[in-house]
Amino acid sequence: MTAARLALRSLARHPVRLAASVAGIALALTLTLALDAIYTGVANGLTAYIDHTGADVWVSQAGVRNLHMVASWLPDTVVDQVRAVPGVTDATPILYSTDTVAAGDDRGVAYVIGLPPGAPVGGPWSVVDGTGQPTAGGVVVDAAFARRAGVSVGGQATVMGRSARIVGLTEGTGSLVNSVAFVPFADFRAARGGAPVVSFVLVRVAPGAAPEAVASAIEAKVPGVTAMTGSAFSAGERRLVMDMSADVIAIMDGIGFIVALVVVALTLYIAVHGSRHELAVLKAIGARNRVLYATVLAQSAVSVAAGVAVAVGITAALAVVVPRTGVALEPALTLASVARTAAVGGAVALIAGVLPIRDVAHVDPLTAFRRGGAPA
Amino acid sequence: MTTTLAIRGVTKQFGHGATSVEAVRGVGLSVESGEVLLIMGPSGSGKSTLLSIMGALLRPTAGTVTLNGVAISQLPERDLPPVRLREFGFVFQDFNLLAALSALENVALVAELAGTARAEALRRAGELLTELGLAERVAFLPDQLSGGEKQRVAIARALINDPSVILADEPTANLDSSNGHEIMRTLRAVAKERGRSVVIVSHDQRIRDIADRVVWLEDGQLRDLMTMAVDPVCGMSVEHDRAVTLEQGGELRFFCSRGCRAEFLGELDGPAETRPARTGPLASLFQAVRPKTP
Repeated sequence: MTAARLALRSLARHPVRLAASVAGIALALTLTLALDAIYTGVANGLTAYIDHTGADVWVSQAGVRNLHMVASWLPDTVVDQVRAVPGVTDATPILYSTDTVAAGDDRGVAYVIGLPPGAPVGGPWSVVDGTGQPTAGGVVVDAAFARRAGVSVGGQATVMGRSARIVGLTEGTGSLVNSVAFVPFADFRAARGGAPVVSFVLVRVAPGAAPEAVASAIEAKVPGVTAMTGSAFSAGERRLVMDMSADVIAIMDGIGFIVALVVVALTLYIAVHGSRHELAVLKAIGARNRVLYATVLAQSAVSVAAGVAVAVGITAALAVVVPRTGVALEPALTLASVARTAAVGGAVALIAGVLPIRDVAHVDPLTAFRRGGAPA
Repeated sequence: MTTTLAIRGVTKQFGHGATSVEAVRGVGLSVESGEVLLIMGPSGSGKSTLLSIMGALLRPTAGTVTLNGVAISQLPERDLPPVRLREFGFVFQDFNLLAALSALENVALVAELAGTARAEALRRAGELLTELGLAERVAFLPDQLSGGEKQRVAIARALINDPSVILADEPTANLDSSNGHEIMRTLRAVAKERGRSVVIVSHDQRIRDIADRVVWLEDGQLRDLMTMAVDPVCGMSVEHDRAVTLEQGGELRFFCSRGCRAEFLGELDGPAETRPARTGPLASLFQAVRPKTP
């Protein structure tokens, strides 16, 4: 407690030095935390469709375990086979492709969903204008995309190489990298040459039935398919996206770690160097080295804790402000991300605190007798 | 009186070979409880080195340092911090208070380092500061205190663990005359009323007035031992050769000044009554020791 109090008082004694240190640490950690939040936001955007379809089980071509950058084709006879599996309440086929949607001067990548009329699942979940059920020759597009393109309901968009009339606008269907567009099942099939295939079958299970059990039953009874619960399918998609970004995040984490370490180590070095005389006095009056070590470590811990708190605050503020700027990005700050940053901060505090220990150990108590050290 | 601190044949050599320097050479000295010992000498004579050796901050190259019968110069380094903490109180020229802590916390810190609970440490620190006339200044940071106040805080810090020996390095060097006298009286009171040994290293000739014994250190060796007597009025030690004397009834008395002699003879009204009342064990310091008339 004595060491902690000394550390706090010493830090408070030099508010500018403390502020500079905390700012440096916060900046370095914000770098990693914000990047993590951005990737999490992107992953959230990419899994938004899966998370909101309302399907308990996704049935796909054998081996297909996510949406992003894959193609899944099943003969349409599979739909009836799936319906026949005990525990299945309804089975809705959808067609899916990654394509471009263009409107006005804007064009973007989109998950294009071919949706059967009256589909109980698989359609848009938040319609802000028009209808969520695309009719022949129509398309439902993301509202943010439409805003950027300067179009609205009744306007024209090009999807899958065909011109379509915008019949509805949705929200929550856009991310930094893509959006979701809905076209009639028949239009999609016609654009793809009319082959009697579906991409996925979205299944709702009977009340009381376990989705995992129904998925297993589907795989057992229907050949050539993979059946996964909605949550497992979403997790697979998220994992793929995060795996793709893991290297970048790891690099940024590393950079943030090194920058934070340098900032804290430098600040502590300056603090220790600047207080050598006081440390000498403490030694002269009988303080053991461990008290001095604890003081330095406590200073490090306080600086880093404050830096982590500021970094979390800045990132949380970004998560609120960025979506309001019109950018199709919703940074998401997660507890896991905060915990990882705190762990990085802890490692920084420990290493930066240990570095000056050699200096502290070699402080000569006799310097307390030298004139002009630190008269107070 | 008993011997508190004794050094025997102490030598301190810095460096090796042709460049080596002997800062202290074969010094022997002892300090009694309740005694004020003043070590004087020119700059570079080894005074601070000797003080550091006495305070277990520096290990002698040869010789022994014994504190209350224990040869502390033979103790391993790991055993020395508690000795410094509990057996010695240091008073520095530059005060060396921790700038981030209040006067109260500066004093209490030393007790806390010795294992005293915070509440008790603060209570004792408050009592000591009150005794030293700083009751109204306990919450002040060192920057907000005068030089004399800082040194009194430093003395309180030195006293809080009730050490056997107080080691003071040029305690009046950064103080004006008035504050210097007050610090000197305080140190003397510490010795006389608390029975502590006080060792002072100083150039300040004024400190001779409060010392029971003065030793002269030159080139690392003790040169001369001055004979001191106690002024019966103010209680200060005075050198026989420099004292104002009075022969009365066949007995020779020594005074630090003509004022004290006059007061002794009942010719002078003391101004002490004008000083504010003090309480506590050191209270007599502010009552019995009156400002002297030069």
